[in-house]
Amino acid sequence: MAKYGALDDVFVALADPTRRAVVRRLGEGSASVGELAQPFEITLPSFMKHVRTLESSGLIRTRKTGRVRMCTLNQDRLSLVDDWLAEQRRAWEQRTDRLEQFVTEHQEKR
Amino acid sequence: MTSIDPTLDLALQRVIRAPRSAVWRAWTDPVHLQQWWVPAPTIARIDQFDVSPGGAFVTSMSDDGDAFMPHTDSIFPVIEPKTRLVFTNAVNSAWRPAAPAPVPMTAEIALADHPEGTDYRVVVRHGNPADRDRHEQLGFFDGWGSVTAALAELVESEASA
Repeated sequence: MAKYGALDDVFVALADPTRRAVVRRLGEGSASVGELAQPFEITLPSFMKHVRTLESSGLIRTRKTGRVRMCTLNQDRLSLVDDWLAEQRRAWEQRTDRLEQFVTEHQEKR
Repeated sequence: MTSIDPTLDLALQRVIRAPRSAVWRAWTDPVHLQQWWVPAPTIARIDQFDVSPGGAFVTSMSDDGDAFMPHTDSIFPVIEPKTRLVFTNAVNSAWRPAAPAPVPMTAEIALADHPEGTDYRVVVRHGNPADRDRHEQLGFFDGWGSVTAALAELVESEASA
């Protein structure tokens, strides 16, 4: 389903501890790339790779103001994982409904 | 084996008013399974069905009964007659490790007797996305992209079913 086309990228983006930490931090509010990079002992180019992965997954949006790049969390994209899981649950509930109906109807015919 | 990660897994439980043997048969007789596996009007076809540990479980589905598309390509790691049935798409029917998108899953169906019929429990465990990340780092990811894309569609079409 097109709605979940981005889910693959979101799962990959969330699979890394550095990126999860960035998402958590951005949950408290927007921050610059410099601020976000500070807690991590990695080079800025490596950190930028994480930022780009997060951005291309749609989990964050970035905007350059002068020489500072600000990052903002996209809550809608994050909730995609929850929505997907809810949909999986519904699919299994419905599958169980069909099984239940099948076996109970089968019973009555005997 | 019994742990559940609430952020990734789902569990459901129900009492089905039919004997355990009938529920087991609905799952393990392909003629029965075919009748409830996908929602009507979609038609299911059971392509491979070997209900034994390591056995293949492959299904297709069709909207018009003419063109079938892949639905499930999995194996049964565990089969305990009338008690437990587990299938996973993390390994495909050819026993190759598979990378279905967005994450692989293992579904565990457990049956127990209940005064009113059958205590029916389902636990679906979804893969830890970190597994995928390791593949990405190893450079496996690009090559698997086309397979993953095809599998993504089928997982998602199942989700929308």
